[in-house]
Amino acid sequence: MSRTIETHRARNPRLFLFHGVVAALLIVLVSGMAHRQLFKTGLYSERERLQNQRRVIVPGPRGRILDRDGNVLVDNRARFSVVLNLAEPHIRAEFRAEYKVVRANYRQLPAAERPNGDQMERIARAAVAQRYLDKINFILERHETVRAADLNRHVNQTLLLPYVLLDDLAPEEYARLLERLPVSSPLQVYASSSRYYPYHNAAAQALGYTSVDNDPEVEDFPGEDLLTFKMKGATGRTGLEKIFDDQLQGETGGAIYLVDPAGYKVDLPIEKRLPVQGKSIVTSLDIDLQQAAETAMEGRIGAAVALDIRTGEVLALVSKPDYDLNEFVPRLSHESAKAIETSGGWLNRAIQGQYPPGSTFKIITALAGLRAGTIEPGVSRIICPGFIMVGNRRFPCAHNAVHGEVDLVKALTQSCNVFFIKYGLDTTPQFLAAEAKRFGFNHPTGIELPSEFRSPRVADPEWRKENWRSANLPDGIWRGGDTANIAIGQGDTLITPLQAACMVASFARGETETKPTLLHDPRRPIQRTTPIGLSPSDYNAVLRGLESCYQIGTGRLARVEGLTGGAKSGTAQKGRIELAWLVAFAPLESPRIAVAVVLEGAEDQDFGGGLYSGPVVKAILQAWQDKRDRPAASAPLNFKME
Amino acid sequence: MLPKRFDQARPFATLGVILLVWLLLPLVLKTFARATFFAIQAPLIVADSYVQDLQTFWSNRLHSKDELLKAGKDLAGLISQYEFSVQQNKALDAEISRLENLLKLPSMPAFRYEPARVARRDFSGWWQRLIIRKGENYGLPVGAPVVFAGGVVGRVVEVHRYTAVVDLITSPTFRVAATVSGDNKPISYQGGLNDAFSSPRGTVEFVPLDISASKAAPRRLVTSGLGGIFPPGLAIGDITLLEPSTDGLFKTGEVALDPRLGSLTEVTVLVPLNPEQL
Repeated sequence: MSRTIETHRARNPRLFLFHGVVAALLIVLVSGMAHRQLFKTGLYSERERLQNQRRVIVPGPRGRILDRDGNVLVDNRARFSVVLNLAEPHIRAEFRAEYKVVRANYRQLPAAERPNGDQMERIARAAVAQRYLDKINFILERHETVRAADLNRHVNQTLLLPYVLLDDLAPEEYARLLERLPVSSPLQVYASSSRYYPYHNAAAQALGYTSVDNDPEVEDFPGEDLLTFKMKGATGRTGLEKIFDDQLQGETGGAIYLVDPAGYKVDLPIEKRLPVQGKSIVTSLDIDLQQAAETAMEGRIGAAVALDIRTGEVLALVSKPDYDLNEFVPRLSHESAKAIETSGGWLNRAIQGQYPPGSTFKIITALAGLRAGTIEPGVSRIICPGFIMVGNRRFPCAHNAVHGEVDLVKALTQSCNVFFIKYGLDTTPQFLAAEAKRFGFNHPTGIELPSEFRSPRVADPEWRKENWRSANLPDGIWRGGDTANIAIGQGDTLITPLQAACMVASFARGETETKPTLLHDPRRPIQRTTPIGLSPSDYNAVLRGLESCYQIGTGRLARVEGLTGGAKSGTAQKGRIELAWLVAFAPLESPRIAVAVVLEGAEDQDFGGGLYSGPVVKAILQAWQDKRDRPAASAPLNFKME
Repeated sequence: MLPKRFDQARPFATLGVILLVWLLLPLVLKTFARATFFAIQAPLIVADSYVQDLQTFWSNRLHSKDELLKAGKDLAGLISQYEFSVQQNKALDAEISRLENLLKLPSMPAFRYEPARVARRDFSGWWQRLIIRKGENYGLPVGAPVVFAGGVVGRVVEVHRYTAVVDLITSPTFRVAATVSGDNKPISYQGGLNDAFSSPRGTVEFVPLDISASKAAPRRLVTSGLGGIFPPGLAIGDITLLEPSTDGLFKTGEVALDPRLGSLTEVTVLVPLNPEQL
């Protein structure tokens, strides 16, 4: 009979070993779990945090730039673009797949004609990006193409940031894309802040432009160890944007988002710091005057400066040719940059243009003669035959005019070269130069703009002796002809239009220096500098001459009906370029505005200062007069300078 | 001994082999298999929905005649109101087309309205998707907008022979170009992470800084019509919270959606007359 019931021993020694092994394994398992759960909690929660959180750094919007009445000259606006996130894994996979296709296609070509691996990578990347752009083209009914060079630059330098496929979308376009692009698409609609210039070209060189800052700084924002995306910021490159970059620059903000395994944010941020807009700058510019001047100078080459005589605040600062600042947003195209280069638009002629002052210098010559005692009002007079011989050099009067009997007032009215050469020679070049230096012609004005002409020069015997080689002069000997030249503003003395405006403003205040500023302060005190050092009768003689020039003389084209003033025209040559100058101030009885205009012309033109620059000055004075009686608009107070 | 042990492990080995085959299967076959599975499953869903309708029918039959008479009276009142609205709409339509002709404006997108019963709501993703009882058999296209009496329901994302799947407005994958009622600047509405059976909500982005809203003073959010898929003016919800976004250019906020979205039984699919519109 067989056994039907199996029996087991309660204690089978063969199982002891097995029990031991199981127990040991369980201990190892429990210990491992305990080690991970209890001792490595921090590590795993940190890994989870790094994996599930993304940090986005957003630069603060730049401050605005306003004119003295609060009109916005430079603003920010939202700019919508559609971007492709190249760092996404499946885009990388698409690149690799496309690369294989490109390589297979090129295999059919002879080795010499085949692009290298790097070139094939570029071709593949451009093809994939174009495929995505075509989706956009289909939705927006456009025909855009990928710029391969831009794409490669992006891949090499800023791969972590999304690549902008199409920029500056209209509201209707971004609305279409929002609705038609799947939320999970690597194509996303993206909004950024960009500079906006509502007045386009107005004061372009003075306001300046910005460039993209790919690495905005952020302080004290948590999550430095998280995967971080930085939005592009902007840095001032020229003009006020550069000089006041620290003030305009906003405070960087940011956010930390929880993301799903695919990397998409799942809710509102878990940590957020709002960016703060930079401080706004209230400039002294008056957009009405600025536009009046720019319109009057349209199509010309030159510069114009208008100053508030009492405070030195710059009301208008024009340099032509110029450029539309909106072209720099988001970046200047190669074609536009070339066009600006060709036209000479980069140069801010108002502060960088180096011009001989022409007959506007006769104001300095008159003041020097009066202070030296070589000119006496009512006494000093000459008979102008239309020219004067200095040594063996013949100096004709302006436009070969014969002025007859000329005193100081008539000489300023008619801009008589003979009078000023004769008395300039008597005054001596040293005294003329000293007077010019007293009016600040030998140093920059210190205006709050970069790249002001740092070394304006006043020619005198000492200067010639030291600099004749560098100035391409035949020798270092100062002759009578040189004195004649500087007395009428020709030769080697070089100033900027801003310096000429400062000179006129200083004279109108009865002082010698004006410190120009581009910042507006409604409580700014009237400037007080060194007095001009003339007796009232001497000062009035020059004043009468300038008034007469403005009313009936060579500056009469600047005259505005119902506005008194003084003016002095000038003509000079710089190489092959003719220069037409006009400086003016108004009103005569209580001077408030000083203007200096210089226009460049071709060699063969009869380029009279009053004739060409007069209408520009008139346009500025007219705009100023139109505004004078209106109640002043209030602008916000400027930031505090530290 | 080994063959005996393998016999015991055979189910696990089979499962492993099936998983391996599934992993190695080309994407086309997987998609086909999934669609086939849905097609097999769909009649069950539809049948279930019909059973529910029958259940509702019988429960309604339990109402007294007095109740039915009262309901009929109310219905007659509503019908007369709607008839008046239909007349008004016809007059407005004529005025709109006259103005469009006068100003040479492009015509507004035209739709055919296809009412559909809701067959099922996926409980695992309550606020994500609906299955409706119409599909290719009624010419529903993928991408078509779906609305109900309270406004936007969502968009058709999958179309099968007799059913279609609608991505709900509450789903994070749903996005539409919207405007605040009374304003014309387009903003972005997107569904949020909604827990099952909670009050539905979504988020808005790119809201201009001059627009404010709060729980006490909510702002109505409607479709902009600029996206070209949804006609303008359809209600989305009420913006109850707006705060500055991190970019400093806009505001972002929350939108309270119509709670009836959680108990939808009937929706209308707007089928564009011009298929290129989608």
